[in-house]
Amino acid sequence: MTKQHANWSPYDNNGGSCVAIAGADYCVIAADTRMSTGYNILTREYSKISKLSIVHSALQMHDKCVMASSGFQADVKALQKNLSARHLIYQHQHNKQMSCPAMAQLLSNTLYYKRFFPYYSFNVLGGLDNEGKGCVFTYDAVGSYERVGYSSQGSGSTLIMPFLDNQLKSPSPLLLPAQDAVTPLSESEAVDLVKTVFASATERDIYTGDKLEIVILNASGIRREYLELRKD
Amino acid sequence: MSKSTVDLPPKGGFSFDLCRRNDMLEKKGLKPQSFLKTGTTIVGLIFQDGVILGADTRATEGPIVADKNCEKIHYMAPNIYCCGAGTAADTEAVTVEAFENEKFVLYCRHGQLTAAITSLPYRSRIKSCYSTDTSEETSFQAEFHNFQLNYQGYVQAALVLGGVDVTGPHLHTIYPHGSTDSLPFATMGSGSLAAMSLFESKYKEGLTRDEGIKLVVEAICAGIFNDLGSGSNVDVCVITKGHKDYLRNHLLPNPRTYVNPNGFTFPKKTEVLLTKITPLKEKVEVIEGGDAMEE
Amino acid sequence: MSIFEYNGSALVAMVGKNCFAIASDRRLGVQLQTIATDFQRISKIHDKLFIGLSGLATDAQTLYETNTITSGYQRLVFRHKLYQLREERDMKPETFASLVSAILYEKRFGPYFCQPVIAGLGDEDKPFICTMDSIGAKELAKDFVVAGTASESLYGACESMFKPDMEADELFETISQALLSSVDRDCLSGWGGHVYVVTPTEVKERILKGRMD
Repeated sequence: MTKQHANWSPYDNNGGSCVAIAGADYCVIAADTRMSTGYNILTREYSKISKLSIVHSALQMHDKCVMASSGFQADVKALQKNLSARHLIYQHQHNKQMSCPAMAQLLSNTLYYKRFFPYYSFNVLGGLDNEGKGCVFTYDAVGSYERVGYSSQGSGSTLIMPFLDNQLKSPSPLLLPAQDAVTPLSESEAVDLVKTVFASATERDIYTGDKLEIVILNASGIRREYLELRKD
Repeated sequence: MSKSTVDLPPKGGFSFDLCRRNDMLEKKGLKPQSFLKTGTTIVGLIFQDGVILGADTRATEGPIVADKNCEKIHYMAPNIYCCGAGTAADTEAVTVEAFENEKFVLYCRHGQLTAAITSLPYRSRIKSCYSTDTSEETSFQAEFHNFQLNYQGYVQAALVLGGVDVTGPHLHTIYPHGSTDSLPFATMGSGSLAAMSLFESKYKEGLTRDEGIKLVVEAICAGIFNDLGSGSNVDVCVITKGHKDYLRNHLLPNPRTYVNPNGFTFPKKTEVLLTKITPLKEKVEVIEGGDAMEE
Repeated sequence: MSIFEYNGSALVAMVGKNCFAIASDRRLGVQLQTIATDFQRISKIHDKLFIGLSGLATDAQTLYETNTITSGYQRLVFRHKLYQLREERDMKPETFASLVSAILYEKRFGPYFCQPVIAGLGDEDKPFICTMDSIGAKELAKDFVVAGTASESLYGACESMFKPDMEADELFETISQALLSSVDRDCLSGWGGHVYVVTPTEVKERILKGRMD
């Protein structure tokens, strides 16, 4: 008998793009809400942005950290669940929320833990660091990460990145003394830029579209905005 | 290659010069290339006084939209139009070659659409084999065998062809391998299932022109919104006896959703190393007239 | 690896108000090794008609080689010269695009590994731009066309930066910025740019400074 499932893969790609931009006192994280496989749309209302924490008491501080992920949805879900659980344990042990850089390290460790059967997820983590400055961390699927001023991941990232480079060109990380990677834009300018890059990526990337979800983190808390994108 | 001393442009047909080289490259582990495809939803239906064809306008290259507003309904004869799906170059070539085909044109002229169409599909395959230089019999045979083995054995075009002749309206589908179907309503391409679901639930005999257009638009929209290979706008072509309406971009359901109201500026100006300016001379046009010169 | 990625290239053409621009990078590489940094991918067919060929450099040169027209009956410049002799006029960009398409489709089952970008001024100086895949499927656009290994980046950059009806100077700035920011995100193209801006009265050819990595 011939082998039946030689071509079966444990992975799928559900598409979608994510962008994060860090400013002096804010962070903008955005992703489209389309989930697709092959030439089919599975849902138009799937949020790729996860808060990574379970809000369970009124005393709790506001969130300082969100993650946007594209790739294989089942792996993304598993990863989010894992991180949320680890974060809950942290809260119980330390009676405070994890800082964004700490969460970034945790995410890296979690990804590398599965080095030889990786989570097929491409993440950007955005938030505010301990000084209240915006920070963005960008990852590969096995946990290599870097703190940057802006980043994009997912199916439309190759389309989005050049324009972000053009508009936000950050200083080289090799410069001495080290310079801040945060972007010089104001919060509303950054939101406009995110809308522009997504509208552009939607024109040309078939896996990006339907709706744009933008999460804005700043000193006064967390805010969400939505923008309709092309639905074809 | 050619026996004549002067190399003249060939008279047409395929050339297989590069097949061996490309084959060698592929065997060395280079990935075969992908071509421009029209992911596509194309449909057609027969209504009470003719045929309506419809198509979306997206052309894709992998996951990227290469053309947002391409034309997929091709002209074949005054009373015949044809929608193409598949490899973009092939659909174009098959339709262009068709009205260069004597038999096809002859049948069209005599108003025998069915015969005209059945003369089509195999021809495109056969011609591609026989048009090589027959003096090189062995290499031709090798090439033919080669491209049969390869995935490229067929001209990869799926067509929905509609027209009206003396015997009334006709609608045909032609599959890439050459088989044909005659149907009252048909869909093709990656969005064919989405479109067919609407036809199956709403089509009935003796639709009016407006009902027909509405149903075609709905079917194409189903493809546009539910199939990622199809997108952008709706093209419609209505053919009735002795008359046709090509409604290019009949519906534009997908405009760009956001343009930054404040615009943007480039933070850093482009650095130019060298500039060369060539002024262009005005072309002098000679108008003939006046007295002819003496011989 | 795909054979299209062997040499690396970036090509883009944009339409402005009664003018057009066509630009390319200047790198010629063999996979990741850079061989030349002043490579010409764009060539002139006549004063107001340009063609850029992305993809495998040897095929690109075979297609348009201007100097040695000894045996290549299919070469573009040769074909255009034949047309000029027969018709005593320059070819219209639309006609030329069809010619290129036909030449490429002739090799449907053993294609040239290059993707052309054609840009020209047609009747009444109406700009025309067009690209094709390697077997000649024409893709006409009203705004911009791109090709090469940096094509995805270029699509994104052009889609964000392009504005309709730009004048020649603004068009130059836009196409240059789009090209340079795109090639910086592509390993296989770069080393500056080569831009032609063509208006009805003049051709401005510029060489751009870019990152040298």
